Order: sequence, then C-alpha cells, then structure tokens
Amino acid sequence: MRLAPVAAAIVLSVAACAPSSPSTPAQSQDKVTLSVWGWGPEENYDKMFAAYEKLNPGVDVDARSFTTATEYDTILSTGLAGDSGPDLAWLRAGANLQPLVEAGRLLPLETSDVPGLKDYDEGVLRSAKGDKDGKVYGVPFAVQTLQVIYNKKIFADHGITPPRTWDDMIAAAEKLKANKIVPFAFGGKDDWMLPIVASIFGTATWGGDTFLDDVKAKRKTFTDPAFVEGIDQLNKLKPYFPDDVAGVSYTDAQILFSSGKAAMFPGGLWELNFFAENAKGVELGVFTPPAPKGGQGMMPGFTDGSYGISAKTRHKAEALKFAAWLASKDYGQLFTDTLSIFSAVPGVKPTDPLLEEVSTTFDKQGATYFMNEFAYGNPSSQTVFSKSLQEMLLGRITAEQAAEQLDKSVATWL
Amino acid sequence: MALSTTRRGSSYLFLIPAFVLYSLFVVYPLFTGLTYSVFSWKGTLRDTFVGFANYAGLLTESFRDQLLPALGHNFLLFAGTMLVQNTLGLAFALALSRVRRGKRALQTMFALPYLVNPLVIGYLWTLLLSPTFGPVNSLLRGVGLEGLAMPWLGDPATALPTVIVITTWQWVGFPMLLFSAALGGIPQEYAEAARTDGATSWQVFRRITLPLLRPAMATITILSFIGSMNTFALVYALGGSNGAPAGATDVLGLLFYRAAFASGDVNALGTSSALAVFMFTFIFGSTLLLERVLRRRT
Repeated sequence: MRLAPVAAAIVLSVAACAPSSPSTPAQSQDKVTLSVWGWGPEENYDKMFAAYEKLNPGVDVDARSFTTATEYDTILSTGLAGDSGPDLAWLRAGANLQPLVEAGRLLPLETSDVPGLKDYDEGVLRSAKGDKDGKVYGVPFAVQTLQVIYNKKIFADHGITPPRTWDDMIAAAEKLKANKIVPFAFGGKDDWMLPIVASIFGTATWGGDTFLDDVKAKRKTFTDPAFVEGIDQLNKLKPYFPDDVAGVSYTDAQILFSSGKAAMFPGGLWELNFFAENAKGVELGVFTPPAPKGGQGMMPGFTDGSYGISAKTRHKAEALKFAAWLASKDYGQLFTDTLSIFSAVPGVKPTDPLLEEVSTTFDKQGATYFMNEFAYGNPSSQTVFSKSLQEMLLGRITAEQAAEQLDKSVATWL
Repeated sequence: MALSTTRRGSSYLFLIPAFVLYSLFVVYPLFTGLTYSVFSWKGTLRDTFVGFANYAGLLTESFRDQLLPALGHNFLLFAGTMLVQNTLGLAFALALSRVRRGKRALQTMFALPYLVNPLVIGYLWTLLLSPTFGPVNSLLRGVGLEGLAMPWLGDPATALPTVIVITTWQWVGFPMLLFSAALGGIPQEYAEAARTDGATSWQVFRRITLPLLRPAMATITILSFIGSMNTFALVYALGGSNGAPAGATDVLGLLFYRAAFASGDVNALGTSSALAVFMFTFIFGSTLLLERVLRRRT
C-alpha cells in the first residue's frame, strides 16, 4: 500500500502536464497565437517579439528555436507539410529555400501586404525569392559580411596597422610569422570555410558582381583567368596559414585566434559574437583585404535568411501584419541591437561601433558572396567546389583545375 | 493432434506484436523508400511518376564522380576491418584463452569502447589527432618522432587508414568476444590428441583451431561487411559530411546524407531514395552472395 502515494503523485503530475486548453476558452478566442520557428538562442526572439506583443495586445508570438544545422531544414519541411507546423518560420536563403517554394508550403508576399519589401535592395531580396516564379517568399532578416577580423593588441604590439595595400598585408604577415604568431587563423578541414575564405581574399581579383552576372548570363565561365587568379590567392597566402592547414578544423582556428596565438581570422561577421563571448580580453577590429593589384578590396556579403509565412496558417491576416512589422525599421533596429548582426532592413544603422564600421565599408565596397549564388545541383556545386579548394590547398590540384571542377558542376544546372 | 494445431495457432498469435513492429518499422519504410524513388519530388511534395529517372540521375557524371570513390572507400574500410580489426580480435581472443586470472576484466576492457557512441569516439579522436592542439602529435614530438607528427586526419593519404585504426580501436572487442566464445566451444581433447601425435603449437592452431573457427569467421566477415558498407557516424564525426580531407573519407552513408539533407536540391527526396534503394539492394545482394560462399566452405 506504500505505492498508493506514489501512484497519486504520478496521476497528479500527468494531469499537470496535460494541455490546459479548455480552462480559459474566452481568452483563447480573442487572443491569437502566432508560432514562429527559427534557429539561434530562443531568449533573443522573446526579447524582440515582446515589443510586438506590446504594440498588439491581441497577438501572442510564440517563438521556438531549433538547431542551426541541416536538421532544421528537415524539421521545417516536415512541420510545414503537416498540421502542427508554425505560422511563420526562418527560411534559408537561395538554393535551400527552393524545395519549400516548389512544394507550395509558403505564402507569396505582396508589397500591398508587406509594404516594407519595396525598399529592400534587390540583391538582398533575391535570396528570398522563388527561382522559377520570381515571387518573394520571405522578409529577409540578416545580412552577413565576410572580412578579416584582427586582434588589435597583437597588431599594436608589432607596430602593424590594418593594411592599405596587398603588399602591406603580406609584410605584416611576414612580421607576425617571424615573431612566432600565426598570421591568419584558418582551418581547411571543415571545407565549408574554404569558399568563404577564398571570397574574402579573391572577390576583388575576379571583379565581384560584374563577374558573377557574366557567369549567370553565360558570357564568362569560372575557368576565366580572373577567377583562377582570385582563388589562387589562397595558395599564395598558404605560408601564413597554420601548418597543415587542411587538417586544422574550424574550431581549432577559432581557438588559435581567441587564445592570442593568431593575429587575424578571415571569416563571417557572426564570428564577432563568438569572439566577444569566448575571447573576452581580445579587442577586435575588422578590415577588408586590399586588392592584390592595387586599390580597395571588396567585402563579400550574403543574405542569411528570411521570415516566411506558412501556406497553411490559420491566422493569415495576423501573420501578414506581423510580417509587415518584421520588414520595418523598428524591427530592424531591434534585431541588430539584440543579435549584434546586420539587419537586412534597409536604412538600419547598428549602434555597435564595430558593426557600424563594417556597415559603412559594406555600403561602399560590398559585393555578393559568390558561393551562395551557385549552390545549386545535386551534388551541389558548393560541395563540389569546397572539396576542390581543399584539394588545391593540399597541393593535389592547381587553381585552374579547381576552377574547372566548379565550372563543370555549375554547367550541370545553370 | 487437435491440441497441437491449437498450440501452433496460438503460438502464431504471440508472433503478432513482433510482426506488427517489424512491418511498421522495417517493411513499410523499405517499401515507401522504393515508391519514393520512382517519383520526382518538389521538396516534400510528390510530383510525377518518373520511372527510373532518379536512378539514371545517380549515373550522371557529376554524381558518379562522388558515388564510385565513396563505394571504393566502403570496400577499403571493409578490407581494413578484416585485416586489422578482425585479425587483432582473433589474436586477442587466443591470448585471452591462455590467461587464467583477470580474463573477464580484460575482456570487458577491450570491449568497452564499443559501448560508446561512434559520434563521441569520432569527436574524441579529432581532438586527440588535431595537428594544432592534439596531444598525440605533441607526444610524438616529445619523444623525438617529429616525422610521425602528421595531420593524420588532414592528409588524404593517411585519413582513411586512420579511420580504420579508430574503427579497430572501437570494435576490436566484438570479434574478440565472438572468437573467444568459438574457442571455448572447441573441445580440449583435439589439441591434446594432436600434441600427443607430435604436432607443434603452430600446427595445432593451423590444422585444428583455425578450421574449427570458420563458422565464427563467416559470421564476423558478414557483420563486418554490413558494418563497413553502412558506416556513417564515425566518418561524419571525423571528416564532416563531405568526407574531408578532399573526399578521402567519403562513403556511401555520407553521400546519402548530402543528397538527402544538404544539397538544397528540389528533387532531393527522389535522388536520395534512389540512392538508398541502390545501397540496400547492393548490400543485401552482396551479403547473400558472401554468405553463400562462406557457408559453402564450412
């Protein structure tokens, strides 16, 4: 009979866990709950959406955060296909958005419903469009830029300033190397980093968006000497990467930089958040590598993702109204201040000084990150080219051969 | 007579739960995978019947360039497992059969890594083998073996052999236990009789022990084959979904993962289902063949 209290406790706790829906029918009727799925820390969403709930007392925004990894795509496509999916969700940009668009899971957005969309930069908006129908399926939320992050103290200790010319940069790297500091913390083992780093050092050489447009219009191909020379910069910088660079993982590279063993980290703007958390003593600066042939460099960037509305939402009007707010400057400001990354909303100025500096540079010298535009196909050209760059860094193939492999892969779908 | 029929009838009744679960979780997914593979897909929406077009897609040049090396790596893993892991397993089992005290403890110790998830093992070894911070290379340098302080997982020449060594480290306890059990089943009298006739210990091993271990070897070979063909977690943890470095550790499992989840292709479901059906048919067929060959010889 000693089991009785235990059993009672179990019954009680089960009852407590059961959804308590029928208790407050009046309240749930006038209050609409919009569920939002995304990735990243959940408390950030709660913070941002609280502002909307304050403005719209009749709406309750319920954010659920999942992993950033590829599993999210599976979770989302399953959720949107069934009846238990979200009303709104973070969508991937470009190629990875297309399966949802073609399956008809998303609501196309019109500027009549979401007026903010018409102010967006075309390059930013393109990443939220269906490739075939050209309709907009999401409100872009973030722009990521790619550049070199550097440790201000190490630079000052060695009398180095952010380089104005390519030769300056090489001279600085030489100096650091002579002082037993790894110039660039970069790991080639996690191969998704390779096109990113190739674009940081090479975009100016192949000529940014003009070149990409030429490739898309089939006036040029990736075997073009300018592109080959661009990716060949990686080979030229190899002496300034960690030893056995193809065996160094992404995390190793982050640790090299955060522990002060390396002076520079070529990577995305999202690294700033990571280093602010994990390299508390390190004062961070950013610069764009100058063009090897003289002149200013280019800062590649891409739209990170967008807010889309499920075609199955039961609260279409409320969801569209929320989307309109997501495309507003109010939200953009809230987003950049909460997450310390760029908002995709046009005209939003970040308050963080470092971000503001990047923003100014990006306005002047911004370019499209080439890989996201060419990530189609199965196997995707991104996978193919990442592997080619890895082989190039290992010295098994030349820059020409790597470019040829990309060209061949792109030709299967372009 | 009547009684036994009822008994048999009621015994079938007891099979129902297992059969239902098996159908639900094995037969049904296999069948749906097969049906998925003959349609084209728009994301998770089934589009049109395309017959064998998805299978033909596996043979296009760009896909073939990844499929064939991946399959080759699966076979190399199998060969490596047979040569290194199973040979060591047999050696350990033989050595342990002579140990009088602490046999159980040693067996447990050898078998312990195989209770750990391969993902955990993979991450553990990437840390150990990291060329930048890894203790393995520091240790090698410390004892004057600089030449051996290599980026073990970062060089295409050493990556796959390293995977084989780590697989062995994890799984060697399994063939060891199977061989130990098989060795325990061989009556002592055979060896004693042979020794009385003047056989050396090598001859006893070669002529008596080894032939009697054949059924165990057949089992281990088949299980190793299936394991090597289906490997995923360890290689994923060691080299990521692209089989780094430069695809040197790419295997069918990773290729399937990329085709299904990482390509962003609208027809990813069709292509990956076709690949899955191909893998299943290939592994199932090869296993049947292997079994027939191995069983015939024993």
